[in-house]
Amino acid sequence: MKINLVRTTVKIPSYQSDPDLDELRDAQPPDSGGRAELAVSDERRSFLGLLTGLIGAGISGVLGITLGRFSIAPALSASNASEWIDVAPLAEIPEGKPTNRSLVVSQNAGWGHFSSDQSVWVVKKAEQLTVFSSVCPHLGCTITENAGGFGCVCHNSAWNGAGEKLSGPAPRGMDTLEHKVESNVVRVRYQNFKQGVAEKSVAS
Amino acid sequence: MIRPFSIVNKTYAWLDERTGIKRLVRRTLDEPIRGGARWSYVFGSALLLLFVIQALTGIFLTMYYVPSADHAHVSVAYIQKAVPGGALIRGLHYYGASGMVLLLIAHLTQTFVFGAYKKKRELLWIVGGVLFLLTLCFAFTGQLLPWDQEAYFGTKVGTSIAGEIPVVGHLQQRIILGGPDITSSTLSRFFMAHVFLLPLALGFLVLLHVYLFRHAGAAGPFDNREHRADRFYPKQLFKDSFFFLLVFVALVTVATLMPAALGPQAKPGSDFLARPAWYFLPLFQLLKYFPGRLTLIPTLLLPGFLFTLLFLLPFFDRRHERHPLRRPVATTALALVLIGSGSLVFLAKYQDKTNPEYNAKLQHQEELARIFLKAQFRPQEVGASAVRASSSAAGSLNSNAEPPKEFLATCALCHGDNGEGNDLGPPLQGVTAKPNRTRDDLLRILDNPPAYGLKDPMPVSFPDLSADDKRLIVDWLINLNKQDSPSLGE
Ligand code: FES
Repeated sequence: MKINLVRTTVKIPSYQSDPDLDELRDAQPPDSGGRAELAVSDERRSFLGLLTGLIGAGISGVLGITLGRFSIAPALSASNASEWIDVAPLAEIPEGKPTNRSLVVSQNAGWGHFSSDQSVWVVKKAEQLTVFSSVCPHLGCTITENAGGFGCVCHNSAWNGAGEKLSGPAPRGMDTLEHKVESNVVRVRYQNFKQGVAEKSVAS
Repeated sequence: MIRPFSIVNKTYAWLDERTGIKRLVRRTLDEPIRGGARWSYVFGSALLLLFVIQALTGIFLTMYYVPSADHAHVSVAYIQKAVPGGALIRGLHYYGASGMVLLLIAHLTQTFVFGAYKKKRELLWIVGGVLFLLTLCFAFTGQLLPWDQEAYFGTKVGTSIAGEIPVVGHLQQRIILGGPDITSSTLSRFFMAHVFLLPLALGFLVLLHVYLFRHAGAAGPFDNREHRADRFYPKQLFKDSFFFLLVFVALVTVATLMPAALGPQAKPGSDFLARPAWYFLPLFQLLKYFPGRLTLIPTLLLPGFLFTLLFLLPFFDRRHERHPLRRPVATTALALVLIGSGSLVFLAKYQDKTNPEYNAKLQHQEELARIFLKAQFRPQEVGASAVRASSSAAGSLNSNAEPPKEFLATCALCHGDNGEGNDLGPPLQGVTAKPNRTRDDLLRILDNPPAYGLKDPMPVSFPDLSADDKRLIVDWLINLNKQDSPSLGE
């Protein structure tokens, strides 16, 4: 955008009597009679204009970059919690029947170390233990028990008792969580996974 | 071939057809400056631009700030210590407040000296005066938000002044505080005023101020001898931008070299020596000279008188004369107010420096704030983990003898009253289980912390502690139970 301005120095008679500025405001650039003199001022004008623009760009740049970093960096560095958490004593998990257990997941979020309740499904079959996340891999609703298997009521996805997908929009089977049994206590590494994709992968 | 320039021109023409922007830009940039561009006119636009910076940094600070007594302090510490760019943004906002007041004084002085408040500009002047008051309200409400010692006790003194005004004082103080005392409710109110109410009011009045200024036109020099004018663009605009660049660079430099102050969290019962920001020091100093019922003079009557004078000035000073030397009364009055306020600021600082008791206390407080600022950021425990942390701290409290008073006086501020640690220093429970921390080691540490690789904020020596004191502390320390480490900790 180039604004066609010609710098003019306007002569006005006197200031003693409260002069009206409208006269000054609407003053037009002098006619071609003054051109030769104005050419110099024109150059100076664009030079000062350029400097002003540079100053504006510099300050905006420093502010913009700092504010951008300030807003975005903490969001990118926040970690997906993945520590070992106690779920239940092994003896409390019945054979063959999916058991819902809630656990407290804590994670650093900004100025705090927050705890929140999450739930998992624990299935024990022939001494084989599986722990499922109850977060639906479709869009994140909570998976509930459904006719011997599992289901998500949000958009009607269904899985069998082994977490394999039977029907519905969910892109994959239920997500298993890494677990271990230590001194007869089931422990789990709680994680969030990417939703809406066929391959299970940790959300990061 | 696509010529980008013609696209820009066409877009501009399209926009202009619908908005009339060309005329607006022309009007803005072509504004004639009577007598030509001058450096003395730069303060107004610098104020405007600094206000924009305050607004921007302020808006972004609320991305992490929590206006609750439980979390305000930790959220500000998080911004200051942990968020990339946080120290700079908070520093700009913090020092920007002082910058606003400084520029306001300069702007007001220039307008006064140039006699630019006279006929046709009365409203402009009055709106400017209201903007001055609003800026002070901004500073006052903003001070409480970090919820550190300085914030809490500064606000306590400030609002008590409001409470001393006869008849309405008590009620007024209650309304300001949102109750009989400074609580989380006070913080919410101050936050609301600082972040919504005042910016709306100030923003509106700034627009009005600029409109009135443009309507009346620049007043020009006071001697009326130069019979010429410059357009606002380019000379004055360049001067304005260049001056603001200096202001901005100064703010960035100060914010980088001297990070914005943040002390330990507010402890309502403690004996903190509160000192107001420099622009409230004249009032603070006057308080010392007017005891008892006379306090009303410096708190209400004098500021009230000065501001009434300020607002009424254009109505009783109606002469056309604008030359400062030919307006001796006005010029002397201004000089008196400026020199008077300046001397009061100096006196307040000087008396604190020369009073050994105050000086020591203030220095100690500054030292603590410095230590707090250097200590690594620790996130606050929220929810179930908070319950666990506090119960284990309570457990250690019950299972030990009372801490010796030497420990409370010297170590407790950073290591907690029972050695449980806090946001300044690590816990000391079970310290003997760590390598190189036998009883003898601990005694030697108190003699010479750096020899054990202990760095700032741990002091380099403890001159106040005698050998007996040190033994007392260490004997108590080694009997502290080892704290059970939280099972979910890192
Ligand atoms: S979220 Fe579970 S089926 Fe859509």
